Amino acid sequence: MILIISTCKEKLSELEFIEPLKKIAGICRVVSSADIDKKEIIKAEKIIISGTALKDFDYLNQDFEWLKKIDKPILGICAGMQVICKTFGGELKDAKNIGVKKTTVVKQNKLVSEDFNAYFLHTKKIVGGDFDVIAESGEFAAIIKHESKEIYGCIFHPEVLNPEIIANFVQK
Amino acid sequence: MKLGVLYSGGKDSTLALMKAKKYHEITCLISIISENKESFMFHTPNIEITKMQAEAMQLPVIAIATKGEKEKELGELKEAVLFAKKKYKIEGIVTGAVASTYQASRIQQICKNLDLWCFNPLWLKDQIELLNEIVDNKICAIIGGVFADALDKTFLGKKIDKKIIAKLSKIAATHHINPAGEGGEIETTVIDAPIFKKKIKIVKSEINYSNNSGIFLIKESKLVSK
Repeated sequence: MILIISTCKEKLSELEFIEPLKKIAGICRVVSSADIDKKEIIKAEKIIISGTALKDFDYLNQDFEWLKKIDKPILGICAGMQVICKTFGGELKDAKNIGVKKTTVVKQNKLVSEDFNAYFLHTKKIVGGDFDVIAESGEFAAIIKHESKEIYGCIFHPEVLNPEIIANFVQK
Repeated sequence: MKLGVLYSGGKDSTLALMKAKKYHEITCLISIISENKESFMFHTPNIEITKMQAEAMQLPVIAIATKGEKEKELGELKEAVLFAKKKYKIEGIVTGAVASTYQASRIQQICKNLDLWCFNPLWLKDQIELLNEIVDNKICAIIGGVFADALDKTFLGKKIDKKIIAKLSKIAATHHINPAGEGGEIETTVIDAPIFKKKIKIVKSEINYSNNSGIFLIKESKLVSK
């Protein structure tokens, strides 16, 4: 079973950021990042941490230290990638990026093999941390992977134009 | 949270409004009346009826006319949203965007610049699922325009119901159209919904159809008791 962790402060945002993920992920459960039950994490086979609205930053004040203690495949999308980055030694810097942009694969990986266009909707970029950049778009690290764990982050929203990235994470 | 709805008078913005109303207070509608029928951003047929729809919902509407020049109309939209922020103290915008990254990214940009929340409750919704939700939520939407050769004159003025959905679904399977009109193939006008205190009665209408596209023009209408 896939566990989707919603970083959305507002329920209304979940229609936009969670519902599309549910359709791609298949059988899944959804919990809020503000109130995660450890039992849900233990039960999950894989975890997806969602994105949220541009004006929502509540997730940055929440505890994601549990990420260090588990050994399961994790995919963070936008806000989800930011919390992963913060947890594993990276830094977040203000950098607005909205719209469809060309994205280049720079390292072989299991999520995507060819360059693609992606929909970006974020105001922070990630710098450093224990990660390899596997795709980039201009100045932005678009997809990252933890050096030794099955932990990925996409700063763009793959559910919009690249659902196969999420499907590959779920299936492979 | 106080929200303004970017309202075209069609099925999508009406459904988006109803979804947003479950969680937040809707304080105004914002309608852009584009003279450009090819507008990339704004739905066009019968857009003038939004004033009557707003009255039916007992909501104020900020209606702004634009010539519909591609990027200029975005500036005009920003002005309208800023006006709504000042006058109705809105903290965010609701849109009926479904799949257009062109439309969504530009509205997101405006909201970011004006420090407003942006909500798109129909985002990435399946087209047939969307049409069924319109009917299931008792939104009475009529087809006000068809802009694809697979959709003939007979669709104009028809109410979106299960029969029409089945027809659109069948055509979509063979003609590469978006059955809910996401690609601009269909435009709708809502004449009644549970949030309407009164419904719109069409008194006089006209069908103009040529070269594989046409509109059902509402020439005269009035609000009547439900």
